[in-house]
Amino acid sequence: MRGLTKFYGEGTTQVRALAGVDLDLFAGELVVLLGPSGSGKTTLLNQLGGLDLPTSGTLRYRDTDLTHATEAELTLYRRESVGFVFQFYNLIPSLTARENVGLITEIATNPMPAEEALGMVGLSPRLDHFPAQLSGGEQQRVAIARAIAKRPAVLLCDEPTGALDVHTGIVVLEALERANRELGTLTVIITHNAVMAEMADRVIRFSDGRVQSEQHNATRAAPASLRW
Amino acid sequence: MLPHLDRKLLRDLKRLKGQAAAVSLVMACGLAMLIMARSLIHSLESTRAEYYQTNHFAEVFVPLKRAPNHLAEQVRALPGVATVQTDLSVPVTLDLPGLTEPASGAVRSLPDFGEPELNRLFLRRGRWLSPGARGEILVGEAFAEANALNPGDTLTMLLNGRRQVFRVAGIVLSPEYIFESRPGAALPDARTYGIFWMPYKEVATAWDLYGAFNRLSLTLAPGANERPVIVALDQLLRPYGGLGAYGRKDHPSHIRVTDEIRVLTILSIGFPIVFLSVAAFMTNAVLTRLLALQREQIAILKAFGFTNRAIVVHYLKFAFVMVVAGLTLGLLGGVALGHQLVVMYRLFYRFPDLHFRLDGGAVGIALGVALGAVTLGVLDAVRRAARLPPAEAMRPEPPANFRPAFIERIGIAKLLSHSFRIAVRNLERRPAQAAFTVAGLALATALLILPNSFKAGIHEVLDFQWDVVQRQDLNLGLVEPSAARLAHELAQLPGVTSLEPTRNAAVRIHFQGRSRQIGLRSLLIGGQHSRAVDHAGREITPPTDGIIVSAKLAAVLGAKIGDTLLLEALEGRRPVAEVKLRALAEDFTGIAAYMELHAISRFLGEGDVITGASIGLDMSRRAAFLAALRDIPRVSTVAIKETMRQSFRETTAKSMGLIQSIYLTFAVIVAFGVIYNNARISLAERARELATLRVVGMTQREVGAVLVIELVVLALLAVPLGLLLGTGLTTVIIGSINTETIRLPLVFTTYTYTFAVVVVLVASTLSALVVLRKLNQLDLIAALKAPE
Repeated sequence: MRGLTKFYGEGTTQVRALAGVDLDLFAGELVVLLGPSGSGKTTLLNQLGGLDLPTSGTLRYRDTDLTHATEAELTLYRRESVGFVFQFYNLIPSLTARENVGLITEIATNPMPAEEALGMVGLSPRLDHFPAQLSGGEQQRVAIARAIAKRPAVLLCDEPTGALDVHTGIVVLEALERANRELGTLTVIITHNAVMAEMADRVIRFSDGRVQSEQHNATRAAPASLRW
Repeated sequence: MLPHLDRKLLRDLKRLKGQAAAVSLVMACGLAMLIMARSLIHSLESTRAEYYQTNHFAEVFVPLKRAPNHLAEQVRALPGVATVQTDLSVPVTLDLPGLTEPASGAVRSLPDFGEPELNRLFLRRGRWLSPGARGEILVGEAFAEANALNPGDTLTMLLNGRRQVFRVAGIVLSPEYIFESRPGAALPDARTYGIFWMPYKEVATAWDLYGAFNRLSLTLAPGANERPVIVALDQLLRPYGGLGAYGRKDHPSHIRVTDEIRVLTILSIGFPIVFLSVAAFMTNAVLTRLLALQREQIAILKAFGFTNRAIVVHYLKFAFVMVVAGLTLGLLGGVALGHQLVVMYRLFYRFPDLHFRLDGGAVGIALGVALGAVTLGVLDAVRRAARLPPAEAMRPEPPANFRPAFIERIGIAKLLSHSFRIAVRNLERRPAQAAFTVAGLALATALLILPNSFKAGIHEVLDFQWDVVQRQDLNLGLVEPSAARLAHELAQLPGVTSLEPTRNAAVRIHFQGRSRQIGLRSLLIGGQHSRAVDHAGREITPPTDGIIVSAKLAAVLGAKIGDTLLLEALEGRRPVAEVKLRALAEDFTGIAAYMELHAISRFLGEGDVITGASIGLDMSRRAAFLAALRDIPRVSTVAIKETMRQSFRETTAKSMGLIQSIYLTFAVIVAFGVIYNNARISLAERARELATLRVVGMTQREVGAVLVIELVVLALLAVPLGLLLGTGLTTVIIGSINTETIRLPLVFTTYTYTFAVVVVLVASTLSALVVLRKLNQLDLIAALKAPE
């Protein structure tokens, strides 16, 4: 992406969320995007995921220009290439764990079976539970299974552990790390929790709508070794 | 395997089953009514058309005094005439064992040999008359049923003053008497009035009419116009006492069926429109609010690549499930009710074979209308949700702007509790939702006005007919106009407390090219029996010259008070005279004209002549009176008010009651559905907020009070609005029941309004109780968790 900006609102109430972001992301990387709240990380993630269009600048995914994509092209991009994990899980409450994943694999071109995806996040014994019957960590792992089941090229995670305690958070991060390792998915984790930087291939510090610094880790720390 | 999105649909439906069922039920009410009414129209129309065709029902009819049989040849030669049938029709008095009051009827002649060309009978039971046999009759079914007459039974008749015993050969139906009633009577009375058929020779001999006829019917040649035939016929038959030819559309029995169909048509349009609008409105409300609650879910679906189309289809399916359920219920309900009403119609309309026939087109219309209604209802809501950019939808809805409520700003807040303040602020903060609820409640209230108003209108017509206009106890009709001194003879009969002579005449009334054939009725100056009243219910003193007509007749003619009308007598020397329109009479059944008794005599150019009398009777001497009456052969008809009232209560009142209770039941269902739905939806929308109130320390009572106060405030706003709306709606629908046969007065009673208010209050209370119970089961922790 080059010179990406995003403004919300108009006139005096206008808010600048992105102030010209230049960034390249590569296949198979695990990137942690660090920044305080209000720094524009979520806005950036929305652009990356094709949920929203930038005000100016260019954003390319492989050979596709997402900056000028139509609604239909964005939908296709999301359907084929992107998996999302949100802070508040956002599961469909009326569907079981297996069905929440199945809902997405139904419309994907080359998905893994829902059971396999849930197996990868360690939820094989809870396939037929409804979200309300699962703990927060379990719900988040269902959300990860849902995101990886279609074998996306890009996995975008917005504060995936934000609503969880340390222990549960680590289980979730392990699931993400495993998906990244085994499926070779570009994984972007947004967080304000600096501890998580240690598990990344690359750490990008973000504030005031800009990339402030980048850092490459020689080795990725195992999520189990993290404490916060 | 069911797609996962459809599973979500089923589970959402299951969760919202109460509300979905309420929407389906309301829709079912509208559709049932639509299917029922349209199918009844179809049943009546197609059955009638087949009956007319099979039995060669004539197209033009003319009663006359007497014409030689060979005149039929001349009629046949008129251009445009296809088939001609002549016969005799004479009045008859009956002597029925076990019946104290006199029964009467009409005897029609049948050809001595062979079937008539037109107006053929349908043999229900027994056999036809044997050729050449004497002393045999065929009896109309309605009379036979009411008097338990069977083939082989005997019946005593006074034929032109001579008592004769006849044997019933068969029970028959005639396309001329689908509706069998005494001429001019608003209501049927099968017990004391019947139609009978005898061989021509027997009728003609008894009445000295051999070689002549007094009824003629004909069919038109293909493509022929009715009007010129009627004109030519009237001209030809005038010297023979022709009383004015008329087409099928003026045939009394035909009019009755047509008017019934017309009323059904109004009901098949008016009611379903209202009900389906309510259903569409409710679907819209349910979906708009459901979508609001599923904002995040929609965003997720979009984030994972579901197209807008897929999402719109998903939620439309939700609505269509309700349509299918509503249609199925409506179809079953409509067919069941239709069958019930057909049974009732058989009491009034005599067809060889009247069955409920489902109008397939109506089911198609019902499906189309229901789909259209909900599609309209959901499309907008769904579209708005689908257009939402996913990133925006994912964010929780922006917090609402709070400010002190209007009531607080005007300074009475200090008097109010916390719960009350929260409730009114909520209402002001979400005016759209409050408006939805108010509109729903108002519609529910409005629907309840119509059926009771309908009922009150019918009662008003009857009270008016029997208590205001006709205050006598009975009416006598004479075989033919007689000298007025007969009245003195009648007044001497036992039990007669008062007697007023009547002189009624058949006339045609013209004004500016429009005309109507009507009965001209006499009024007495200072008379205590029959009266004419104006729209304010004040008695109109009959003017010594000039005419009073039904307001409806004036409207039909386009005449107003002061205009000069042309009055043409259809009997006697058939004088024609100009008369001034002096006043408009308010009446609800039929159209009529009234003149002062002596003015009628002057107009007809005759002396003191009467055609009947109205009588006030000492009811304790009723039996003696009726027995004495049998010895006066010149009396042809006796109509006792109490008997008519009684018979009305047993038949018409029951059937009207059936229709009215169907509508009322539907209205109550809808009221409950709308109110229950509103309460459930507002609970769903507010679950988190109310749970928060509980968490911060408000008691269940206080939180419950918030909801209840909201509901009460909304109801207070909605009910008066609903009463107004219902009054308007009723005015439109009842106002369209305005035919020449019947007009319904607009009657709004305290009862009608009270009933509506009470039903709405009961429904609101019950719904509030359900919601309060749900509120107590509210899972505080779950409701406060992060949005799912």
